[in-house]
Amino acid sequence: MATAVSPNPKTEHTSGVAPLRAGQGHEFLLRRLHSLSGIIPVGAFLFEHIVVSNAQAINGPTAYANQVRFLGSLPFVLALEIFGIWLPILFHAGYGFYIWYRGQSNLINYPWMGNWMYALQRWTGGIAFAYIIWHTYTMRFTGVDLHDHPGASFGKVQLELFNPAYFAFYVIGLLSASWHFAYGIWLFAAKWGITIGERARQRFLYVCMALFLLISGVGLASITSFRSHQQQPTDPAGAAVVEHSQVK
Amino acid sequence: MANPKIIVVGGGLAGLSAVIKIAEAGGDVDLFSIVPVKRSHSVCAQGGINAAKNLKGEGDTTAQHLDDTVYGGDFLGNQTPIKEMCDAAPAIIDLLDRMGVPFNRTPEGLLDFRRFGGTLYHRTAFAGATTGQQLLYALDEQVRRYESEGRVTKYEHWEFLSAVLDSNRVCRGICAMNLRTMEVRTFECDALIVATGGIGAIFGKSTNSVVCTGSAQSALYQQGAYYANGEFIQVHPTSIPGEDKLRLMSESARGEGGRVWVPKQKHDKRDPRTIPDSDRFYFLEEWYPKYGNLVPRDVATRAIHKIVYENDLGIDGQPMVYLDLTHIDRHTLDRKLEGILEIYEKFVGDDPRVHPMKIFPGMHYTMGGLWIDFNQATSIPGVFAAGECEYQYHGANRLGANSLVSCIFGGFVAGPEAVKYAKGLQKSPAGSNGHFDAEKKRQEEINSRLISSDGTENPFRLWRELGDTMTRNVTVLRYNKSLQETDTKIVELLERFRKINLSDKGAWANTSFIFSRQLYNMLQLARVITQGAARRDESRGAHYKPDFPERDDAKFLKTTKAYFAPDADEPRFEWEAVDTSIIKPRPRRYDMAK
Amino acid sequence: MAEKTVKLKIKRQTGPNTESHWDEFEIPWKPGMNVISAMMDIAANPVTKDGKQTTPIAYDSNCLEEICGSCAMLINGKAKMACSALVDHFEQPITVEPLSKFPIVRDLAVDRSVLFENLKKVKAWVPVDGTYDLGSGPRITPQQQEQSYPLSNCISCTICMEVCPQFNEGTGFVGAATISQVALFNDHPTGAVLKEERLHALMGDGGIHECGFAQNCVESCPKEIPLTRSISRVAGQVMIQSIKDIFSS
Repeated sequence: MATAVSPNPKTEHTSGVAPLRAGQGHEFLLRRLHSLSGIIPVGAFLFEHIVVSNAQAINGPTAYANQVRFLGSLPFVLALEIFGIWLPILFHAGYGFYIWYRGQSNLINYPWMGNWMYALQRWTGGIAFAYIIWHTYTMRFTGVDLHDHPGASFGKVQLELFNPAYFAFYVIGLLSASWHFAYGIWLFAAKWGITIGERARQRFLYVCMALFLLISGVGLASITSFRSHQQQPTDPAGAAVVEHSQVK
Repeated sequence: MANPKIIVVGGGLAGLSAVIKIAEAGGDVDLFSIVPVKRSHSVCAQGGINAAKNLKGEGDTTAQHLDDTVYGGDFLGNQTPIKEMCDAAPAIIDLLDRMGVPFNRTPEGLLDFRRFGGTLYHRTAFAGATTGQQLLYALDEQVRRYESEGRVTKYEHWEFLSAVLDSNRVCRGICAMNLRTMEVRTFECDALIVATGGIGAIFGKSTNSVVCTGSAQSALYQQGAYYANGEFIQVHPTSIPGEDKLRLMSESARGEGGRVWVPKQKHDKRDPRTIPDSDRFYFLEEWYPKYGNLVPRDVATRAIHKIVYENDLGIDGQPMVYLDLTHIDRHTLDRKLEGILEIYEKFVGDDPRVHPMKIFPGMHYTMGGLWIDFNQATSIPGVFAAGECEYQYHGANRLGANSLVSCIFGGFVAGPEAVKYAKGLQKSPAGSNGHFDAEKKRQEEINSRLISSDGTENPFRLWRELGDTMTRNVTVLRYNKSLQETDTKIVELLERFRKINLSDKGAWANTSFIFSRQLYNMLQLARVITQGAARRDESRGAHYKPDFPERDDAKFLKTTKAYFAPDADEPRFEWEAVDTSIIKPRPRRYDMAK
Repeated sequence: MAEKTVKLKIKRQTGPNTESHWDEFEIPWKPGMNVISAMMDIAANPVTKDGKQTTPIAYDSNCLEEICGSCAMLINGKAKMACSALVDHFEQPITVEPLSKFPIVRDLAVDRSVLFENLKKVKAWVPVDGTYDLGSGPRITPQQQEQSYPLSNCISCTICMEVCPQFNEGTGFVGAATISQVALFNDHPTGAVLKEERLHALMGDGGIHECGFAQNCVESCPKEIPLTRSISRVAGQVMIQSIKDIFSS
């Protein structure tokens, strides 16, 4: 009967945001790995790198050299670097850019604190990654090899830090990375269902801000101590002298 | 044989209740709604739902619920179906509870109950101050479950235009219009349930939602269905006057201890908070010591009218009185009434926890509706009705928190009855389906006439005139002379409707076109209400004629039944005896125990 | 003195695939006026500020009490319920636009059916055995009720989705409203029987992991639902479920 057929009204979505693809895809795994990798190993490395290793700069060139030598002497150091640092950072950054690209920031109409943080997390991540690429390139792959000549480390960093533009880049990179890490931990706790309540999140935000202050504070102190020393040698011979002098 | 195919029009509490019962009984349902069903007007019900669960040790019984309902309805309600509803109510509450409605709880984890108007028992289960919303959502979720199983097909943003009747005037389907594409289509069914709610728009501003135009009921009435007790219009005593609508201030505000008062001194300019108790006139408590602020709605409404218009004691001379909650502690208010207090705060701007609210009666509910028998069947074979759009359960006046239970109960009856009817239905013989094409053609002709009409009248302005007249003359106080004038006015509006000019001639989501179609049906139904009121020379429940202040059982203990005379293009009336088989009518008074 | 007026600038579009344009209106001010009543006045006299005859504005609305969830739109750039948007609270001219993340039907009316589809995907219901009389429901403490009730107040207005930077065609994010309903039904003693299915649904693409915790949802929810709390709680449940899946599959 022609007039009374009642085909189902259209339910499929031809335009607009698609409905949930319940139980399909693997974005969940990637997204959670992204979140986790930001803390372990990337964040943990960041903490070690700034708060433990580079803080040795505060104790002077020799202490710094000793720390670099210690790190360089770790077994399978290259494998550790590749699988513990570089690949996780590349994944975290690459997927992070993908997340950034898919988000649609709307700060103009909704300039609320959480929304600012959302935007800032993306910008700090982007800046930190740019910095890390440059920093790894110059420190690890150009100039004197610091695994072979740990004593040249202090001087090599100094060379960059005495350049005002690079110095600024260091500071911005440091602040971006430590903010991204600290607020990332806060996000992690919220998004993994650890801090459920409003007040718990508020309190944990203070903890994360303290962590940011700690990392960026120590980082800035290290940077300052690089700049407060005379230029140290970066040639192999000079490096050997630094390595064998006493820690002050 | 194939599953019975039922069409349900309207996705509020009654419609969804029917859908659930049909799906459960193995029927297939097409559900039509103007709005996504989750946005139906049922969400606006605030206070609660009645059931004599007797969880407060008061000795409440379903017989007592029946008595309160019949008495509150001034004995105009048919007692057999009301009894069935009251008897079914406790199990309905249990079912809703099982469906996850977040009813308020006692410390022991049981359902909490509050008192409502027209009863002395704590009989009203409630979920904060948004009970209707919570109930509708629970049913909506169950229907969504059936929808995902393929038992229910929703047609949202479709408007019911008419029933498709075969040559024997038996319903075989419906004709509906897609509100976006404007496509007119017919749909086949074995039985039709209309659950299209209220008619508030006929009164212009009311507490009803925008979609509550009564258009579907009116269309069926114009197709031959009886419309019963149309003159019984409940005016809610406490609404918040607004520019776009009247917003309800739930009876639960009084149920939780809210007190209605005016300053004793005329045009007292003082801040209400500074007026001492001795200068306040708690007129409901004084006039009705037994029920106090919880007298039934019609009684409270007339008392407020009297205070304002006869005693000239309205706040600052305006038609408003105070509804005061400020003596109740903030925590209790937030816990029990937060939702409704927010409404006041949001739309008026004052905090009712601090400032007494300013309220005035507003059109709220129609007790009348499509005539149905005790099985929810209308006078058109194959058409059933449930919810506010039918007349069965509230007599001359509805008690607070009885509407939700009547909607669900009505749907629970209508669903299975429709299935039963469908199973016994003779299929129309093959090749006799011309009535589908004919109905579609008839509706398309109405549409093309309307869209090409090039007069000078704006439909929205006609509507405002209708609303003003109806509110002034056919609500709280009714005089035969002004009722007569109102009917004349409606005839004039119907005349002017022919000279309508739609500023929008578009063929896509044309809201003024859609509205105009509804307006025509509103005008037709307005005559039923007005003429019904004119014919009833007595006062009963919500219907009050100062010239006939007493109830007259000898002449008017009868249901008004209107039917449409197509040739004369006007309503005709009959009377039908009321079923008083259980409780003998007695005078209804709230100034003393009944 | 000239009568007080209200100026509105309304973004219009005759259909889903047509160009949009702005119409400006200036109408007499009335006390307590909101954006809906302003548009009702326009419908009764559809003339623009420049005296040009136009059509009444198409928009979704129903209850006008901020409980049906129909009339969400962008008012001065922000997603709001038009019925509770008192004109006195806004700078004029008040700009009114349709929600930006949903397909436009006409003028301010948009198609928000994606939310209802999502509610199906997560089985947002309590699976009762039937509607016949099975006695009362499970006992629920007042504290539990007070936790559930706010979540059950969601009016499906989709404002939380509109304001979410992650809710867009690229991500196909499910949005806060649906996640909060998962929290609601997972809490219910009977509803919990579908908990695992709901959590698995939310692990699908567009699921809970797309949340960027910008928290715009909780800031803008007209019913003040603790949406971020719901998201956090459900996210925790999803994590526990995924760990269970690893060890029990």
